[in-house]
Amino acid sequence: MQARRWLDIFRLRLLSLFRRGRVERDLNRELRAHLEHQTAENIAAGMTREEARLAALREFGGLPQIEEDCRDMRRTNYIESFVQDLRYAARTLARNPSFAVVIVLTLGLAIGANSAIFSVIEGVLLRPLPYASPDRLVRMFTANQHFPKFRVNPFDFRDVRERNRSFEKLAAFCRKDVQLSGIDRPERLTGLLVTAGFFETLGYRPALGREFDEGDEHSGSGRVVILSDRIWKRVFAGDPGIVGRKIILDAMPLTVVGVMPPGVQHVGQDHDTLAHGDVVDVWRPFVFTGDPSQRGSHFMDVFGRLRAGVSIEQAVAELNSLYVQLGNEHPSFAGWHTLAIPMQKEIVGKSERLLLVLLGAVGFVLLIACVNAANLMLAQATSRQREIAVRAAIGAGRRRIIRQALTESLLISALGGILGAVLSVGGVRALVSFLPAGFPRVQAIHLDLPVFGFTLLIALGAGFLFGLAPSIQASKTDLIQSLREGGRSGGGHHAMRLRSVLVVAEVSLASVLLIGAGLMLRSFLNLVHTDPGFRPEHVISASVSLPGREYKTGEDIARFCAQFLERVGRLDGVQSAGFGTDLPWTGYNENTNFHIEGTSSAADDNNHARYHAATADYFRAVGIPLVKGRFFTEQDRDNAANVLIVNETFARRYWPNADAVGKRLTFTNSPKEKDWFAVVGVVRDVKDAPSDVGAPPSFWWSYLQQQPTNTLFLAMRANSDPVALVQYARRELGQLNAGLALADVRSMDQVVDASLATPKFALFLVALFAGLAIVLAAIGTYGVMAYSVSRQQRENGIRIALGARPGAVLRLVLMQGLKLAVVGVVLGIAFAVALGRVLGSLLYGVSAVDPLTFAWVAGAALVVAGVACYLPARRATRADPMAALRAE
Amino acid sequence: MSKPSDLIQGTLDLLILKTISLEAMHGWRIAKRIQQISGDVLQVSQGSLYPALHRLEQQGWIKAEWRDSETGREAKFYYLSKAGRVQLEKELAQWERLSNAVGLVVRTV
Repeated sequence: MQARRWLDIFRLRLLSLFRRGRVERDLNRELRAHLEHQTAENIAAGMTREEARLAALREFGGLPQIEEDCRDMRRTNYIESFVQDLRYAARTLARNPSFAVVIVLTLGLAIGANSAIFSVIEGVLLRPLPYASPDRLVRMFTANQHFPKFRVNPFDFRDVRERNRSFEKLAAFCRKDVQLSGIDRPERLTGLLVTAGFFETLGYRPALGREFDEGDEHSGSGRVVILSDRIWKRVFAGDPGIVGRKIILDAMPLTVVGVMPPGVQHVGQDHDTLAHGDVVDVWRPFVFTGDPSQRGSHFMDVFGRLRAGVSIEQAVAELNSLYVQLGNEHPSFAGWHTLAIPMQKEIVGKSERLLLVLLGAVGFVLLIACVNAANLMLAQATSRQREIAVRAAIGAGRRRIIRQALTESLLISALGGILGAVLSVGGVRALVSFLPAGFPRVQAIHLDLPVFGFTLLIALGAGFLFGLAPSIQASKTDLIQSLREGGRSGGGHHAMRLRSVLVVAEVSLASVLLIGAGLMLRSFLNLVHTDPGFRPEHVISASVSLPGREYKTGEDIARFCAQFLERVGRLDGVQSAGFGTDLPWTGYNENTNFHIEGTSSAADDNNHARYHAATADYFRAVGIPLVKGRFFTEQDRDNAANVLIVNETFARRYWPNADAVGKRLTFTNSPKEKDWFAVVGVVRDVKDAPSDVGAPPSFWWSYLQQQPTNTLFLAMRANSDPVALVQYARRELGQLNAGLALADVRSMDQVVDASLATPKFALFLVALFAGLAIVLAAIGTYGVMAYSVSRQQRENGIRIALGARPGAVLRLVLMQGLKLAVVGVVLGIAFAVALGRVLGSLLYGVSAVDPLTFAWVAGAALVVAGVACYLPARRATRADPMAALRAE
Repeated sequence: MSKPSDLIQGTLDLLILKTISLEAMHGWRIAKRIQQISGDVLQVSQGSLYPALHRLEQQGWIKAEWRDSETGREAKFYYLSKAGRVQLEKELAQWERLSNAVGLVVRTV
């Protein structure tokens, strides 16, 4: 029975939707039948036919109203009237296309920009990482009082891996690039050393062969390698029999045991910087060697998959108690605790703030576009007041009128949304190409369903936002007044006040964006003008890694350095050339403790500094100036006295009141005379990154005496263009050892540019949005002022007729507009102060409430507002006094 | 007549359902019948009657068909659907409960 009822209901709905004519006719017939019955009764009661009909009509009331009420009872009414409204709205827009075009264009721009930024946010921040159950993946670091986030000692990792119960799996890795030879042209490959089950932890399975197990972690068994799909295809032509083949890496034959599928995403690391993404060429097993009781060196990056149901906090608590155990067992480990960071946050956390600021900025632009649209709609609604009054008079209810006006704004916003979606296709492409190098998850940025859903949502939201005020305004139309005045006046004080509020809102939003852009500009200029501490011009850099098998001893490495630098130094155009463990601003972060001669060893735990090594001409080539003492020389070699160069921060921290040159320190516990290193020079500070507050205390060993790594970074200073030198350097290297390749070739100017890329990107976009905002706000202000002037033209004419000079009228109108602008700017500044904290961490050397920026922005906004008001004001001065008098 | 409040509207539904429960009727007759039986106390205006009829029809409680009326004019006759009969029982019971309760309160307090 219920089912039958639903069937009936369904049939009726279909009928009212698709056979509207019939349903309408029936309704009309039904009501007329009622009238006839009533008339017949009245006649029977003794009235004349005419009297009877009028009486029946009187009693009946408004026929159209009852019809409308009956229509309302048919639920499909909404759809019907929507279609009707839509048609009506389309006709209205077509009649006044310039109005529609302006709104659709501005909205389309704003919506497109929003979609583009959102697609980046969706791809980078919101989309889960491309690993199996990524929410359970956690990056593990260690920390102590000096190092808030540090890597892990391999033996600690192994103990934790064995003893913990929080993780399903734990894996560790460190970067170790390798030299691929035995092919036409030797090549440096990006490589990782990884522990057993590394891929399984991430949820990857090899496409061919197997991944490493714990058997591969023991010394002597590590001569195996897993290739990336890229290398397998490019270098080995996708050989299906590659598993089991031997290839030459670092002059050693290694057996390929597996090939990974395409698109394996590295989790990313800060030390030996390697961004998240498909960047690794080969993986080799990490082999645990050395004395497990010595746990001072931390160089492993660790991540793990939590067991289902275990929280990060629980895991940290368990690992910290394990660390206490380990600290008791191994004194060299004491004092460390665990730092756990969800994988997603570790990878994208640094970009989060920037992206949210951009979304906020672009959201403001959309708001301004909405305010503009609202203003235009309001002006339209006012000029259409008479039409609305007529419709109300013939029975349109208030809700119906609001609905109709909203349909119009929704149609406009939908058009804007379509335009925005089209624009966002180009916008996303442009954005991705602008993104600074090393931006995480760029490959995950696409226009996809969620993005289009977002576009639709903001388009509809915008339609409601800018349609609501005008439609409510329209529904408040005073019937009698409007019909009588014949549409001459419009809106009155109420509508004018609403428009003033919109202008204020627009100006204040634009001011916030301008302030943001101004602050970022100042911050960027500060960064650019910061002394980097070195001279990047005309310097080319590259790296060489020396296979441990061919260069076994420090002597071998020192000999290679001397020979290669001697050859390169002879080249035309080379001013100076040197090797170092690293180059400025490239993410190098290796630290050590030490003991200073003449101090108690209790202080040693607090003595820590960044260590580097460099050859004699490294500082000259990079352009780090000497402050005191001397640079290294060729004589600072193995059998000579051990020497050090320290930076200013080091000298200041450890010998605040004395000359650092001549002081000695050591890195061994019970030093003999040969274990002491004497400071021979002090060099200028170079910060880790241009936006850092200061440089860490650092020192350099002479590369001819200490070789902490066998990956060398070359710096060559040229007389002019350094890029031309690369091929000669490559030739010299090939002549020295045909198995070596020059990698990471880039000029120091490029390094500097890369370090400024993110603030430049942020500045560019925020400035773009601010520019858009101020233009939109100017258009809006102009529109409102022009409208208000056109309404006051008679009043102005009378003023002039009474003897007001044009200047006075001009001033009057200008002041009207500027008053609104001043209120807007003041509100904008207040808003900016409130938002200051959001921007804080993106700024360098400028406060988020920088008075100078605020003053400039206030000035600029007022000038723009003044210009926007000037044109209407000029028109006001040309009001014709005669016309005004005649009209009265 | 302004829009009836919820109570009145619900009551009007009940009155309509009850009135047409014996035989099919067109709108004018329904109004007349309610007026007559209530001794001219309940006057149903057309402005509430027809929207109510259309609502009840849309809800599937009543059905309609065109027939010749007693005066020979064609009119839209409404009658209860099966579901409508059940609904009427429910509404009657509800009404009994409500009016008894109101009666109790009014008489005793």
